[in-house]
Amino acid sequence: MAQQAGHEGNPLLDGLRIEPTPGPTTLVIFGASGDLTRRKLLPALYQLSRGQRLPARFNVIGVARSAMSDDEFRESMHASLKEFAGVQKPDDVSQALARSMSYLAGEMDDPALYRQICEKVSGADGDGVLFYLAIPPTVYGTVIDQLGTAGLMKAASSGWRRVIVEKPFGTDLGSARELNAKMHRHMDESQIFRIDHYLGKETVQNLLVFRFANGMFEPIWNRRYIDHVQITAAETVGVERRASYYEGAGALRDMVQNHLMQVLTLVAMEPPIAFSAENVRDRKHDALAAIQPLVGNSANGNGEGSADSANVIRAQYSGGWLSGSEVPAYRKEDGVDPQSVTETYVALRVHLDSWRWAGVPFYIRTGKRLPKRTTEIAIQFRKPPLHIFKRASPTPIASNLLIVNVQPDEGISVRFEAKLPGTRMQLAPVMMNFRYGSAFGRAVPEAYETLLLDAMLGDATLFARHDFVEASWALITPVHEAWKASRVGEIPAYEAGEWGPKEADEMMAADGRRWRTL
Amino acid sequence: MSDTTVDQLLPGATEVAFSEIEPTLARLTRDSGGHKRLPGRALTATVVVVGPSARLIEAAQALEGLGERAGVRAILIAEGTLTSPPVRVTEHTIAILGLAPQYVDNAVAALRLSSLPAAVWWRGGSPEALTELADLADRMVLDTDNPDEVWSTAESLFEQTAVTDLRWTRLTRWRSLLASLFDVPQVREAIPRLKQLTITARDIPCARLFAGWLVSALGPAGWEVHISPGTDDGQLLLESIQLSSGDQTIAVRARRTCMEASIEKPRSCTRVVPLTDVKLATWIGEELAVRARDLAFEAALRAARQLPV
Repeated sequence: MAQQAGHEGNPLLDGLRIEPTPGPTTLVIFGASGDLTRRKLLPALYQLSRGQRLPARFNVIGVARSAMSDDEFRESMHASLKEFAGVQKPDDVSQALARSMSYLAGEMDDPALYRQICEKVSGADGDGVLFYLAIPPTVYGTVIDQLGTAGLMKAASSGWRRVIVEKPFGTDLGSARELNAKMHRHMDESQIFRIDHYLGKETVQNLLVFRFANGMFEPIWNRRYIDHVQITAAETVGVERRASYYEGAGALRDMVQNHLMQVLTLVAMEPPIAFSAENVRDRKHDALAAIQPLVGNSANGNGEGSADSANVIRAQYSGGWLSGSEVPAYRKEDGVDPQSVTETYVALRVHLDSWRWAGVPFYIRTGKRLPKRTTEIAIQFRKPPLHIFKRASPTPIASNLLIVNVQPDEGISVRFEAKLPGTRMQLAPVMMNFRYGSAFGRAVPEAYETLLLDAMLGDATLFARHDFVEASWALITPVHEAWKASRVGEIPAYEAGEWGPKEADEMMAADGRRWRTL
Repeated sequence: MSDTTVDQLLPGATEVAFSEIEPTLARLTRDSGGHKRLPGRALTATVVVVGPSARLIEAAQALEGLGERAGVRAILIAEGTLTSPPVRVTEHTIAILGLAPQYVDNAVAALRLSSLPAAVWWRGGSPEALTELADLADRMVLDTDNPDEVWSTAESLFEQTAVTDLRWTRLTRWRSLLASLFDVPQVREAIPRLKQLTITARDIPCARLFAGWLVSALGPAGWEVHISPGTDDGQLLLESIQLSSGDQTIAVRARRTCMEASIEKPRSCTRVVPLTDVKLATWIGEELAVRARDLAFEAALRAARQLPV
């Protein structure tokens, strides 16, 4: 991403072909004994270290409530690497990383804990300090206040102080605004990195390259040539061990407000004038601001307005059969209220008020317990104005499709019509595929590696800005309010292992379209 | 070239006339039925390797390994005196054996993939062929045992094509490790005083190139450069680098399984990274990913050539 390394003035970096490494950094992880740290952060740090992407002077301070010694924290890192990074036994790199690690136990609201952090980081004037909030969102405010009160967000001399905040950033527009305001009381926006791991995915980043480093796609990337866009994020898993969180969140908060709105804006944004954090984020925000309200006069959620005008469909999975075995209904999952109306599936029809996209619907669907795990963006083009092959080949021609596969098989495909070999004029759709895995054969970095490094380098391109978060909540919050106001005790169901409720199909059918078969 | 060498170069290859190369490649690709790994890769470049036959065998094996990561058309050329040399092909590799140097560029012009970058991997040969190939190459990767002659020619090619040396590629990790120490403010402050450079190396030209880089990057005046032959028989070209002033010492050393960069005084810190994959395929693969002119290399080479041998 745009390079803003923390090592200006280093004469040996000129012409060095490796990507930049950050300047001296201390990473303070709040929630160091938690799941995110074990599964994602420590493996990411190890891989960055192996790839020589961490600075020469690098320290990790783990902070959590659990009592633990430095050595126990280091041991937990080795265990994490064994489980999640395939490092069977400590090697040179993990041992060196372990030596840079220390641990502090304490309550998140205890000022004494922050005094200890102050003492630990004060020995490195001029270094950067990155605070990672890998903690429950309910504690964000407390930690932010304490960091600010302790003066930890103010760097001495040439150093820097930044904070990474995990999603969800608020639960609605009001809480997001409140959290933003609280953060801005203690730090500048440039110090805040709101993480969305979807943006660290290679294919999502490649969307920018695909659109703006090639001259042939952008001229047709508009309402004249594009019929509609479908964005799908399908999961096969159920609620797993996240019931307590998911019951209060649902698919709309969990996936749409953050990940899918980010993806949508990358598809819909105008070209930025430069590949810099502010330019890219300005254009993404413009795209988000152009989205018509999802609920309103002619655009209501379930139960309000006619079916063909509903822009938001929600549903919940019932019991079914998936991947070779029976799976329970959402309401029968551990930790889920048996009367729950939390949506595990949501489909949206989104319109943008812009010259580029007027009249082009963006359809978004995401859900749990769907038949396949896949995330993709499908751009469906308009058909040619005339089917001149109709007499020779009566089968209707298929629209051109451009498919960006985000996961699991990252790549880009184009569907077009071709002549079948033979003496007759017969047409058939064919796919032209580009796959990261086979085309380059090199390992794609984990999203957390990319994002951690970017935050250390001060590059916020792949992080959400405050106005984006608030604009996104401004779209989503009225939907929740409409659902709440409708007081519907039931929610449409779809069978686990199927592609969502019939209402979602009806939404498409009302527009003369259908969901792609994946 | 002996029959044994020919067989080693491309085992199982098909012998064809030069004019039949393209149809044969098309047939071999079609007949592979997609069961081999290479057809699955997107072809991204042409790699022309010129050198003595023994070094071509090594290069062919490296490019085979590279096929795991990137699809390339490889053209292997051993110079000789023939105007109608024997040609052997496999699915993505062409070997031309004993071609007269003045026709090397003609052969490459006919066989390189159109619209994709072409890199020349120069493992030895006549200077005139090197110069002629520079017009056809987007990138020239030098890789000879004794580089002095080819380095003097290389300087004249800088304006024509992007030139580098595989020794430079192998120095990348050393350079980046040392550079990372210069992110530390106390080291940057000491730059004007850092004038003593000691390098222990298995490959002396490599050490000179490294010294040339440091001298060109940190300022040319007043250096005391000591290069001594190393004792390690491993695959690393350098063993240790020490850069010092009166009050500051920084070093990069190869250990058994890792490399260690350290600021030894006054405030010490150490950074450990794993030893990289030292396969030839890895090095050439890194070079093929680069297309831009490397001004740092050019400056390093110029400075290295001015260092006392």
